[in-house]
Amino acid sequence: MALAVKAMTLVLCWGGICLGLFRAFGGARRTVLSGTLAGFAGGAVLVVALAAAVPATALAATLRGVLAVGFLLLGGVAVTHLYRPAGATLDISGPAAVPPGRWPAVLTSAAAGLVTAAVGGGVLGALPLGPDRLLPGAITLAIGLTLPFLAVAGERRLPVALLLTGEALLALVVGLLLLLSSSSLGLDLFAPLSMKVMKLIHDFIHQFFESMLIPDHPFFRNDVWTYIGYLFSNSVGFWGGLALWLLPPLLLVLGLLRKPLPSVAHIRQGAQRRKLLASFLRARRWQLVVPWLTVLVLAGAVYRSTHPATEYWDPKPVPVSAGADGTVVLPVKDGERDLDDGRIHKFALRDGEQEARFLVVMKPDGRYAVALDACAICQPEGYGQAEGTVICYYCKTLIPLETVGQPGGCNPVPIRFTASEREIRVARQELVNAWVSTVQAGARVPGGKR
Amino acid sequence: MIIEARGLTRSYAEICALKPLQLQVPEGEWLTVMGHSGSGKSTLLNLMGGLDRPSAGTIQVGGVDLASLDENGLARFRREWIGIIFQQHHLVPYLTALENVMMAQYFHSVTDEAEARAALERVGLGNRLRNRPGELSGGEQQRVCIARSIINSPRILLGDEPTGNLDHQNTRMVLELLRELRDQEKFTIVLVTHNSEVAAWGDRTIFMDDGVVVRDEPRGAPA
Repeated sequence: MALAVKAMTLVLCWGGICLGLFRAFGGARRTVLSGTLAGFAGGAVLVVALAAAVPATALAATLRGVLAVGFLLLGGVAVTHLYRPAGATLDISGPAAVPPGRWPAVLTSAAAGLVTAAVGGGVLGALPLGPDRLLPGAITLAIGLTLPFLAVAGERRLPVALLLTGEALLALVVGLLLLLSSSSLGLDLFAPLSMKVMKLIHDFIHQFFESMLIPDHPFFRNDVWTYIGYLFSNSVGFWGGLALWLLPPLLLVLGLLRKPLPSVAHIRQGAQRRKLLASFLRARRWQLVVPWLTVLVLAGAVYRSTHPATEYWDPKPVPVSAGADGTVVLPVKDGERDLDDGRIHKFALRDGEQEARFLVVMKPDGRYAVALDACAICQPEGYGQAEGTVICYYCKTLIPLETVGQPGGCNPVPIRFTASEREIRVARQELVNAWVSTVQAGARVPGGKR
Repeated sequence: MIIEARGLTRSYAEICALKPLQLQVPEGEWLTVMGHSGSGKSTLLNLMGGLDRPSAGTIQVGGVDLASLDENGLARFRREWIGIIFQQHHLVPYLTALENVMMAQYFHSVTDEAEARAALERVGLGNRLRNRPGELSGGEQQRVCIARSIINSPRILLGDEPTGNLDHQNTRMVLELLRELRDQEKFTIVLVTHNSEVAAWGDRTIFMDDGVVVRDEPRGAPA
């Protein structure tokens, strides 16, 4: 089901990009068609080759980097668009506002096709391309290569007045690519962005208060931290991230609204003057369609990011207790539970009023990892598992399974243990101490920890 | 000819409101249509204004066959070509005189308050801009209608008994206004009336009876 949703998203996004390209380069349809076909096929081949050559995490990082560059480029273009040359008026020349040069058309189309195919390959998780994935891969490629032909026909049905400038085309392509990438945990850009914002606010306030020695101030120590804690919550990161996320298309909208309309003062008859003015206003409204559509598309990407189609593996913690020697013993195989199955297994150790949650997982390298179901940074909302990673429910950070058991960042706090073929042993005191020191220390701050 | 009807027919079920009719109206003419109730005057006016479609025959306005236009085309035609003045005014009661005129601008293109104000001043209502229709006399309301009908510079002004509810003084005032506007703006006017005094203001009068033009006189009807 999740794969079908992702495939549908790929089809919609690639279709939308093709429509935008054909409309923007209205005078060079054949060139755009060649560019999109070559680009999409090339992108598919490239991503398969890269998947065979580099680790999946490196490939995902590369694709995220490409998407981030696109987003930054859109931001730069939007700012430039806002500060237009003095005296420039709204371009009402017609639907094909982008100069229909052959090379710009073919290069833009090929680049869009290449990135879409690469991101689509990453999103569908069809990598590396094994024998079992040849058929789905071939079907996806066939659909991807058919869509430009359908888009040629579809573009002719779009309203004639729908003008697509170069800036609007870039916004549409970047917006749809970000929507596409939001279908994948590994390629989604919004979650890392909102986390960066949250961390920036956190670090700024922390450093500011440290430098002002405010934590030691008698007035601030008890009460004010309660309110300051809200600034550290992930909702601040979400809204801050959302503001940055939607800024480029909103700047494009603002730039269009700020552009003066061509003068109608030379027309004496009132009705004719108003009619011409109305036509200019109508042209501007049509030019605003794509930037507003991009806002919607990016909002959709945010929704997908915060409500991923991925179903996390999140087992209910199994209550455990320590033996007389103060050791928690976890059998590798216990009924239906098998600690060697590569999935995370959660346990809860009760110690008086405290309950320390921890997880055990066998990593892809065949070694066990034992860690708290919490990290040293966020509130202890725990972790889920999907697509070769564990995800922090609080900040949505993805942590590769290979690195679980290592300290730092948002990784689950590692716990020392001993393992044999039949059981894993963890010291009760070690668990409780780790839980208290990492979780309870920040519990009085509502939004997170100091 | 700005209006040209050939074999124009309009039937409602078994009733033939307009029998095959030939009519030509040159640009700038003031044509008066007279006849008793049910003679087909308003039917003819509605067909000229693109408010109705003929059952048979053609009516061309400005060289365009109205029967060939779809609903959107007809709406565009009415917006660009036609101004209509009704006997019952049909002003929006909760809008001021100025807003009523601006509403016509809005449906045409965009509003321009200064231009709407100038139109009302032109019909002598510069001091009643902010009054609602209920606060205006019948003659004043009809002048708001005239301002509303001319604000978009139509080529043809259609009047369906525009003075039917007015006293003698207001009737004269409205007709003088129409004549003045016609002379300045070169409108073509088609006016339906029962009143032969009103008809005398026009350039030509046609008399209708039972859906047929029975008489066509070059000047206004005798008083």
